[in-house]
Amino acid sequence: MRKRDSLFRSVILTLLIGLVPFIGWSQDSDLKPVTNKYAIKNATIVQAPGKTIQNGTILIENGIIKAVGSSVTIPADAWVVDADSMFVYAGFISGLSNIGVKKPEDKDGGDDRKLTGTPTDERAGITPGNSAREMLNVSDKSVDDFRKLGFTASHSVPHNGMLPGTGTIIILGGDNDQDMVVKDQVTMYSQFSGAGGVYPNTVIGVMAKYRDLYRKASQASDYQNKYNASPNGMERPAPNATLEALYPIVSKQMTVAFKAEGIKDVMRAIVLQRDLGFKMMLGEVKQGWDAIPAIKATGAPVFLSLDLPEWKEQEKKEDKDDEEKEEKEPTESELEEKALQERQYAMIKNYYTQAGKFSSNGVKFGFSTMEVKSKDFRTNLLKVIENGLSEDKALAALTTEPASILGLSSLMGTIETGKMANLVVSDTAYFTKDANVRYVFVDGIKYDFEAKKKKKKKSSDGEGVDAAGVWNYTTETPQGNGSGVITLKGTPGDYSGTISVSFNGSTNEIENVEVDGNNVSFSFKLNMGEEITVDISMDIDGDTFEGTLSVAAFGSFPMEGSKEPNN
Amino acid sequence: MIKNIKNILTLVLALTTGLAFGQIPSAETGTFALTNAKIETVTNGTIQNGIVIISDGKIAEVGSNVTIPQGAKTIDCSGMTIYPGMIDGGTQVGLVEVSSDPRTRDNNEIGDVIPHIQALTAVNPSSVIHPVTRVNGVTTVLTMPSGGLFPGTAALINLHGYTPDQMYAGFKGVVLNFPTTGRRGRWDRRSDDDIKKAAEKALKQLNDVWAKATQYHKIDSATNGKDQPYYPEMKALLPVVRGEMKLLVNVNSANDIKEALKWIEKNGADAVLCGVSEGWRAAEDIAKAGVPVITGPVLSNPTRGYDRYDRPYANAGAMQKAGVKVAIRTNEVENARNLPYHAGFAATYGMGKEEALKAVTIVPAEIFGVSDMYGSIEKGKVANLFVTSGDPFETKTQIKYVFIDGWNIPMISRHTQLYEEYLNRAPGVEK
Amino acid sequence: MKKINIIIALMLTVTFVMAQKKGSVLIKSGTVLTVTNGTLENTDVLIRDGKISKIGKGLSAPSGSKIIDASGMFVMPGIIDAHSHLALDAVNEATSPVTAEVWVGDALDPLDVGIYQALAGGVTSAHSMHGSANAIGGQCETVKFRYGEIEPDKLRMAGAPRTIKFALGENPTRVHGSGNGIQPRTRMGVEHVIRSSFQQAKEYKAAWDEYNAKKKDKRYKGKAPAYDLRLETLADILRGDIIIHCHSYRADEIYMLMQVCKDYGIKRLVFQHVNEGFKVAPELAKFGAGASVFADWWAYKFEVYYSTAYNAAILTKNGVTTSINSDSGELIRHLYHEAAKSQKYGGLTDDQALSLITINPAKQLGIADRVGSLEEGKEGDVAIFKNHPLSIYAIPTVTIVDGIVRFDRENDPADMRLYPDPEEKIDVTLWEAEDHDRCMANTEFLFTDK
Repeated sequence: MRKRDSLFRSVILTLLIGLVPFIGWSQDSDLKPVTNKYAIKNATIVQAPGKTIQNGTILIENGIIKAVGSSVTIPADAWVVDADSMFVYAGFISGLSNIGVKKPEDKDGGDDRKLTGTPTDERAGITPGNSAREMLNVSDKSVDDFRKLGFTASHSVPHNGMLPGTGTIIILGGDNDQDMVVKDQVTMYSQFSGAGGVYPNTVIGVMAKYRDLYRKASQASDYQNKYNASPNGMERPAPNATLEALYPIVSKQMTVAFKAEGIKDVMRAIVLQRDLGFKMMLGEVKQGWDAIPAIKATGAPVFLSLDLPEWKEQEKKEDKDDEEKEEKEPTESELEEKALQERQYAMIKNYYTQAGKFSSNGVKFGFSTMEVKSKDFRTNLLKVIENGLSEDKALAALTTEPASILGLSSLMGTIETGKMANLVVSDTAYFTKDANVRYVFVDGIKYDFEAKKKKKKKSSDGEGVDAAGVWNYTTETPQGNGSGVITLKGTPGDYSGTISVSFNGSTNEIENVEVDGNNVSFSFKLNMGEEITVDISMDIDGDTFEGTLSVAAFGSFPMEGSKEPNN
Repeated sequence: MIKNIKNILTLVLALTTGLAFGQIPSAETGTFALTNAKIETVTNGTIQNGIVIISDGKIAEVGSNVTIPQGAKTIDCSGMTIYPGMIDGGTQVGLVEVSSDPRTRDNNEIGDVIPHIQALTAVNPSSVIHPVTRVNGVTTVLTMPSGGLFPGTAALINLHGYTPDQMYAGFKGVVLNFPTTGRRGRWDRRSDDDIKKAAEKALKQLNDVWAKATQYHKIDSATNGKDQPYYPEMKALLPVVRGEMKLLVNVNSANDIKEALKWIEKNGADAVLCGVSEGWRAAEDIAKAGVPVITGPVLSNPTRGYDRYDRPYANAGAMQKAGVKVAIRTNEVENARNLPYHAGFAATYGMGKEEALKAVTIVPAEIFGVSDMYGSIEKGKVANLFVTSGDPFETKTQIKYVFIDGWNIPMISRHTQLYEEYLNRAPGVEK
Repeated sequence: MKKINIIIALMLTVTFVMAQKKGSVLIKSGTVLTVTNGTLENTDVLIRDGKISKIGKGLSAPSGSKIIDASGMFVMPGIIDAHSHLALDAVNEATSPVTAEVWVGDALDPLDVGIYQALAGGVTSAHSMHGSANAIGGQCETVKFRYGEIEPDKLRMAGAPRTIKFALGENPTRVHGSGNGIQPRTRMGVEHVIRSSFQQAKEYKAAWDEYNAKKKDKRYKGKAPAYDLRLETLADILRGDIIIHCHSYRADEIYMLMQVCKDYGIKRLVFQHVNEGFKVAPELAKFGAGASVFADWWAYKFEVYYSTAYNAAILTKNGVTTSINSDSGELIRHLYHEAAKSQKYGGLTDDQALSLITINPAKQLGIADRVGSLEEGKEGDVAIFKNHPLSIYAIPTVTIVDGIVRFDRENDPADMRLYPDPEEKIDVTLWEAEDHDRCMANTEFLFTDK
C-alpha cells in the first residue's frame, strides 16, 4: 500500500527552471524567444489587492518574478515591454473549471438494460481514481479563451459523473500537455450528476450512493490501517480501486470540491458534508445568497460562478414606454407583465449582488469559470462590481483568495519576488469598461494581444443565408413535373427576383421574401386563367436546396434544385 | 399457501370473466308521476310541492296543479328536489375505459386532419363508466375525440342505451385543437422560438385546410354536390364551413384564445371555445366576440406558476361576469361523475349557485342547440332529470332517482355493487 | 471499528433538529372542530410559541401575539396528506427494483409553489414520498409546509418516524419486468423480491450483531461484515425503525405483503392507494395495517378497474385506520372536499370524515402525538374555513403552521413563487395541469427507445 500512499500524497511539481528547454513557447512562431528575461516598464503595478506601485517595473527571469519596484535596474539582455499607462496584475486563477481538460468521448456502451441497477463504476460516473492531469490538452480552445481574459492558472477538474476524478492545478500555457501541471490530486471533484439511465440516475440516487461509498471507504481504510499496522492473523483486505481512491477524503487529506450551482445543490452538498464529515469547498455557486449562514457554518470556501442570467436594463425600457403611451391607462395584462418583470429583475439582481454579499458577510470566496462563456466574463464581472463588490475584493477573488483556498499562496496570487511570473497587463485599469488585455505572462512566457477594434455595426437581423444567385429547380405535382429558374438578387433580408415556370412559360416577380436561417421563402402570383398564389419554401444547404411548392387549394409539392455555379 | 393460491385463482377467474360480473338490472319505462317535490326548473324558477309527469320519454307535465294520469307509477318525492339532468360539456366518456390500457382507448385516431372520424361510432354502450356517472345526476355528456389539429367529430350522448344511436342526444360538432403557443407542460423543453415556429406552422396548416374546405364548398355549391370525388375530410368540414355545424375549438392560453377569436371572426365559423383555462385573462375579448365557452376542469392547478392559486376555481365566474355564455365541463372520463363538484367550486369562487347550475344544464343545451329537448324541467322536453336529498352540488347530497329519456335508471353501479358485497364481507377473517 | 459504529449511529439520526420559527396566535370565537374531542362552538384556540397552549372560551392573548377573529368560521386541525410528491426534485430512482437506501429527503424542494397552493387548501403537513417504480423504493420524508423558508431542512418535520415506500402490482412489474427484463415481471416476482431483500437484511443484521458481540474481545481480529447502506436500511425496517408505506391496489397483493411482514416480524405497515383494500378490510384490521386511499379515483389502469368510491367507508366501518390522500398537486388543494365524499359514498359522520385527513394520516405517519387534532399541547397547525370544511362551499381562509400564518386569503398576492426564473419569457408560458400520477415521475427514460 505504500505505493498507493505516495500516489495520494499531493505532489508539487514546481517547474524547475532550466530543465525545460525554451523551444516553441511563443504562440505565433516556432522560433524560440531570444531571451527569457522580460522587463515590464513604467506600469501601474497592482501587486496585491489594495497595494499599488505607480510607474514601476517588473523583472522576470526564467519564469520567476525577479524584482518588482519603482527603481528596478533593467538588465541589457531583457526584452523590455513598454507599459506606459498600462496596469499589471497578478495572473487570475480560476477556482474551478474544466479549462484544458478534454471531454471524454461519448461511449456508446452496449445498452444492457438488465444492468441498470448494477452498472460498472465507470458507467455510473464513479471514477475517483481518475485525474484531470491525465486528460489535459494544452491546445484546448478553453486555454486560449481564458488566457486572453487574464487567467494564468486554473483548478481544473474532469468532466462527467458524480465522482469524475481529482482536480489538478494547471497554468494556462506550456510546451505540452504535462507542462501545464502545477499540482496534482488537489481535490476530489464531486457533482450531483446522475448516470443517465443507470444507477444512480437521479439526485436521490447520487446522494445515497455518495453516503454508501464514503462509508464503505471509511470502513475499508480503517481496516487497511489496522492491517498495515499488524497483519498477523488478519484477513487480507479486499482491493478496491474506487474505495482506495476515496481514502484521502476520509482521512481529510484531500478536500472535496462540490459543484453546486443552485441553492438546493448548495444545501445538498452541505447535508452530505454534515453527515459524512469530509473537508469541502463549493464551486460554481450561482444561487448562494440565501445560503450564506449555512455555508458559513460549514467553514467551506466558495467559488462563485460568473455565469449569470442576462442583465436587463430596467429603467430605459420604462422611459420608452412612458413616452409612447403617456395617457393610456395600463391594461390588466400590462400591469401583470410589469409586476412579473419587476420580480424577474429583482431575481436577476440577486445573482449580481451575490458576490458583494459574500464579501460583506466574510465568506472566503473566489470565482470559478466552469459555465461562464469567455465572451461574457468581463461584462458580468464588471456588473458584479457595479452591484456591490469592491474592485479590490474582485481582484482578490481572482488572485489571492483562490491562491489561498487552493494552497497556492507561495506560488501565485500576488506580484512578489520569487513567485511564478504569472501576470496580466491591460491597457488601462482592468475593471473599467474599455480595458483591453495586452499581455499575459504565463510562467514567464509572454502572450501578446491586440487592442480590440471597435465593433462593426451589424446589419439588422443579417444572420440569414446568402442565397443570391440563379437556382434551377424541379418539382413534382400530380399534374406532372415542372421546372424553372429562380433568380435572387440583393442581400439577406432584402431579396428580390423572379421565378420562371415551365408549366406556362411565364416569368413572375417574387414577393414577400423572408429569410430565416437557411430557409428562404417567398410567394408569387401565377396566372392560370385565374390568378393563384404559389408559396415557395427553400431549405438551402450550400449550393443545393430542398423545399416545397404550395398552392393553397391544392396542397404542397416537393421541389429541389441547385445553384448555377458561374454565379 | 395452497388456500392462498386458490383464493388468488378464484379472484383471477372473477377478474377475467369479470366484464360480465355484476350486471345492472334494466331500467324501467312507462308513465311516472314524481309528486310532492320541490322542482328546480332552471328556466322557470322553483316550484314548491310540485309534480312532474313523465310519459313517452318526455316531461308531459310540470307544476303544482297537475292531474296524475291513470296507471302512472307514483314516486313520492317529499323532502326531495328535482333537477334537470346535468350535461358535461366535454369528456371522453364512452371512448375510453381504462386510460392506461391502449386496447381500451378509442379517443385518438391516427391523422392530423381527420374531421370525418366519428366519436359516436366508438361509444361503448356497455362501458362500466356510464352507470357510475349517471347515478350522480350526470345524464348527458359531450364525448370528444382528441389528437391532432382536427381530431374528429364529437357527439352528445345520454348515458343510457344499448346502441350509440339510442344514446345519441342530437348534437355533433367538429373538434379543432387550436395551434398553441404555450408549453404543453413541465416536460416541454422546446425553446421559445421552436414553440413559436411550431404554432405558426400549425396555424398555416389550419388556414390551408380551411381554404381547401372553402374551395370544396364553392365547388360543391356550384355543382350541387354532384361528381365531387371521395374526399371525406372536406365532406366533414363542409357543414362547418357553411356555418351549419359547430366548430368546437379547444384552446387554453390567453394568447391562443385571442388568436382563436381573430381566426373565428375572420373565417365566420360558428364556434365554441372549449377548455379556456386562461379565459379570465381574455374575458373581455371573448365577451365582445360573443363566442360561447365550455370551460373546465374547474378542479385544476393554475396554468402558470405565478397565477393566484384560485384562478381555476374562479375562471368560469370571471368569464360569466364579463358577459360570456359559460358552460362547465370536466374533461374527464371515469370522474365525469364529479361534474357537480366542478360546478360547486365555480359557484363558491364567484359564479354563484344559480349560474353554476345553469352552466351544467340549460347553457350547454343552448350551446349545443338542443335546448328544446334538454337543460331544464319544462313540459315537452326529454325526461332527463334527477331527484336529490338536497343541493346537488353539496358533496354529501344523495341522489335518489335518475331518469334518462324517460327511463327510470336503477341507482346501481359497480361502486354501489362492491359496497353492498363487501361492507360486511362474509366470510370475514375466519372462514 | 469505532468509527463505523459512530457512522451507523449518525445514520440513524440523519434528520438534524433545526431551530424552527414558531409563532403565537389567538384564534377567537370560532366553531372549533377538534376532531378528537367533538365540536366546540364559539371557542378560542391559543397558540403560544408554536404549540396549542389553550382551547377555551374568552381567552386572552399574550401581548404581541396575532389575533384572528374566527367568529362564524370553522377552525380545524391542519390537514395532513399521507401521500404526496410535492416539494421534491426527484421522485423515483427507478434503476433497480430495490432502492431502500435512497431518500427523497435528499431532494426536498422548498421552492415548489405547489406547497403554497396546498396551504391554500388548508394542508399543513404532507408525506412526501418516493415513487412506485420499485418493489422496494426509497425512504420518504414527512414535511411541514413552512412555505417561505429556503433551506430544505426547514421543511422537515424533525423527529417524525422514518418511512419507506414499497410498491406492488403494475408499476414495479412494468418498469423492471417489462421495461428491463429483470424480476419482477409478475406479482409472484414482487413477493420474491421483497422476501429475498428481507432475508438478506436479516442475515446482514445477524452478521453485524455477531461481529459486534465478538468485537468486545479486544483480541478479536475478524473482519466486519461489508457495510451496505441498502441492507442497513432494510435492517432498520426489521428493527421496527421505519414504517412501510406500500403502494398497492389489488386485494391479493395487499394480503401477500401482510403475510410477508408477519413472517419477518414487521408490524408498522400502511397501504397506499389500496383500491381493493375494501375486499380485505377484516384482514387489514386484524393486522393493524393502515389504509391511505383516494376518495374516488378508479379505472385509470386495469388494477383499479374493480374499485369503489365506498372504499374509505368500508375500511372505516371495518375498523381500519383510514386516510384520504392526494398523490397529486391538484387533489391536495381540496382534500377537505375529498374527505366529504366519504359522506356521499358510505355516510360517514363529520368527525369520521374529518379524521380521514387529520388524525388518521397522523397516526399512519407516527406523528399523532404532535398533530392531527386540536388538543392542548399539540403543535399549532390549524386551518380556518369559511363554511364547514366538508361543504362544497367551504373556503379555506387562513392556514397556520407552528403558530405562523403561512396562508391568508385576505393577504394573498398572485405571484407566490420564491425564486422566479430569471430567464423565462413571461407572456407565452402555459403550464398545463400537472400530471396526476407523479408516482411514476423519473421513470420516463425506461419507456423510450425500447
